[in-house]
Amino acid sequence: MRHLRSQRREWLTTLLLLLPGFAVFLGLFVYPFIITIVLSLRPEGQTTGWTLEYYTSFLASEHGRQVIVLTFFLAIATTLFSVLLSVPLALVLRRKLRGHRFFRAVPLIPLVVPGLIGALGLLLVFGSRGWFNLFIRDVLPFIHGPIAVNYTISGLTLFYVWLYFPYTLLTTLSTLEGLDPGIEEAAQVSGANPWKVLRHVVLPLIMPGILSGSVLTFMNAFGAFSIPLVAGGNYRPLSVDVYKQIQLFVPAHWSQACAIAVIMGVLQVVFLTFYMRVLRGRKVK
Amino acid sequence: MKKLFTILFVLAVVAASAFAAPKEIVFMDSQSGANFQQWWQTIALPAAEDFLGVKIKYVVGSDAEIIERMKAWKAGQGDITVLFPKSTALFIKTSQVQLENLTTAKVPNMAKIDPVLQTSTEGVPVANKGAAYWFSTYALIYDSNYVKNPPKSWQEFYDRRAEWKGHIGFIRPDAKSSGGWRQPFAFLNAFTDFSKKFDPNAADFQAAWARLKDFYTYCQLPLAAEPTNAFENFNAGDTWITVYAMDYSLWSARQGTMPPTTKAMFLDPGIDAGGQAYLVVPANIPEENKQIAYKLINYLLSDDQQSRLVSTMWQYNSTMINDKVPGIVWEQIPKIEVAKKAAIPPERVNADAIAYIKKNAVNIIPK
Repeated sequence: MRHLRSQRREWLTTLLLLLPGFAVFLGLFVYPFIITIVLSLRPEGQTTGWTLEYYTSFLASEHGRQVIVLTFFLAIATTLFSVLLSVPLALVLRRKLRGHRFFRAVPLIPLVVPGLIGALGLLLVFGSRGWFNLFIRDVLPFIHGPIAVNYTISGLTLFYVWLYFPYTLLTTLSTLEGLDPGIEEAAQVSGANPWKVLRHVVLPLIMPGILSGSVLTFMNAFGAFSIPLVAGGNYRPLSVDVYKQIQLFVPAHWSQACAIAVIMGVLQVVFLTFYMRVLRGRKVK
Repeated sequence: MKKLFTILFVLAVVAASAFAAPKEIVFMDSQSGANFQQWWQTIALPAAEDFLGVKIKYVVGSDAEIIERMKAWKAGQGDITVLFPKSTALFIKTSQVQLENLTTAKVPNMAKIDPVLQTSTEGVPVANKGAAYWFSTYALIYDSNYVKNPPKSWQEFYDRRAEWKGHIGFIRPDAKSSGGWRQPFAFLNAFTDFSKKFDPNAADFQAAWARLKDFYTYCQLPLAAEPTNAFENFNAGDTWITVYAMDYSLWSARQGTMPPTTKAMFLDPGIDAGGQAYLVVPANIPEENKQIAYKLINYLLSDDQQSRLVSTMWQYNSTMINDKVPGIVWEQIPKIEVAKKAAIPPERVNADAIAYIKKNAVNIIPK
C-alpha cells in the first residue's frame, strides 16, 4: 500500500515537473501550428466553412510550382556547397596552427550577424562598385565591366552558403576533434597514404557530423527569409511568398499565407524524413 | 469602525488607481521608414513625454498584425494608445476595427489641418477617423552627376526613357514599401483618367498598362526589392533616376546612403498618390488613455512640432502654418504650395486601381 502511495507521489511529481514544459510546447508550438492549419482551410476572412481552394490554387499555378522548385534548389545547392566548403575547412582548422583561435572564430561570424545585415553587407561587397568588382578590375584587367553577382541565382546561392555553412562546419569540426588519433595512426602504420586515410578512415568516421550539419543547413536554407527578401531580386522562395500575402495585399491574405506556410512545412518534413531514412540506411549498411 | 475605515481606505486607493492617468501609453508605428523611426524615438516622442508627463512606449508593427490584434479587443482592452498606420484607409475599411472619431473638440489643433488632407486617403474617405500628421511628397529623384537635364513630366520621362535605359530605379510592385505601387500608380495616372470608375479592360487603361510594361523594361533590372536596394544602386552609380519619397531621399543623401549629388523635382501631372499619414486612436482602449491620446495628437499638431517636422525632416507639415516655418527650409525643398500642386488630386486616387496594381503589376515586370 505504502509502495503504491509513494509510486503515485513520484508519478505526480514527475507530472508536475513536466507540466511547464508541456504547457510551453502546447502553447508555443502546437497551438500556433493548429491555428495556421485551420486558417489555411477557412475561406478568407471567415470564421466558419472549410475550403481547399488556397492549396489547390497555389499548387496548380505555374508560379506556385516555380517557387517550390526554387526553394528546393536553393536549399539543396546551399547544403551541397556548405558540405564541400566545410569538410576541407574543418580539416585545416583541426590543426592547431598559429592563430587558430582567430581562424576558428571567423567562419562563425555569419551565425551572430542578423541575416538582413549580412545580406546588405554582401550586396555592398559584390555590387558593381563593391570591393569584389574593384578587386577584379585591378587584378584581372582583361575582364571588362563588373561581374554581376547581386540578384543572380549564383549570387543568391553564394549568400546562402555564407550564412548557413557554419552549421555544417561546426558539426564536422566537433566530430573530427572527437576522433581518436590512434585510428588514423594505425591506418598510416598499415601503409595507407594520407589520401587513403582521409577517404577510407576519416571521412566515413566523420560522416555523421557532416550529415547532421547538412540537415541543419538544409532546414535553415529552406526557410531563409531575410537574404532572398533583400538580395533575391526576381528569385523569391516560399518564405517570401508567405510574407507577400500578408504585407502586400489589403486586406492581408491570411488564408493563402497560411496555406503556403503549411505546404512549406509539409514539404520540408517529407524531404527530411526521406533524407533521414536514407541516412539511417547508410548507417545499417 | 476601524474595519470600515480600512475598507474605505482600500476602496479609495483602488478607485484612485483606476481613475489615475496612465503612467505609460503605447505609440504604435507601422508607417515610418528608418528616418521617421529615428524622428519618433529621438525627437518627437521624448519631447511629448516631457510635455505630457507620461512615458510613451514606441513600438514598430505592421498593419496586418495590428488589425488582427485590434479585432480581438473588447471594450477598454486595447493596448495601443495612438497608432500611426501605414495605410489608414485599410483601418477605416476594416469593419471589425473601430477607430475613435477625432474632432476639434477633442483635438483643438486639428482646426489648423489643411481640409484637403482630411477628405480622403488612398481613395477612401477619412471621415474624422484620423488626424493628418504630415504630407509626404514623392518626387523625381536623380543623381545630378548623371542626369543633367531631368524630365519635367511623365510624358517626357517616358519619351526619353532610352536615355536612361538600365538606370531607372523602380521598386518591385510586391515590395513592402508603398513605393512598389505608388510608382506605377503615378505613372499610369499620367496616361489614363483615374477619376472615372476603374475598369481594367478600358482601352485607355490598357494602353497605359502596356506603356508601364514597356517602361519597366527600361528600368534597372531586376527591380529593387525595397528602397534600401534602390538607394544602394544609386550609391553604386547603377541607378541614376527614380521616383520616390522626397523627404526620405534627401534625408538619406544627408546620411550618406544616397549620393550627395542627389536632387529632387516634381513631374507633371502629379507624382504622389495620397501620401499623407494620419494619427489615429483605436476606440477599444481605456477611456483615460483616450484623453492622453488626444493630448498627444494635439501636441504633435502644435505649431512648434509641425515646424520642426519640415525643418528637420523635410516632410511637409499637415497644418497650415507656413508663415511660421523658417524661410531657409524653402531653399532646400520646394514650397508646400508647389508640392501640393504636384500631388495627384484626391478624386484621382482610385482605390480600385491601387488594388489592381498591387495584385497584377508583378506579372508585367521583366523576369
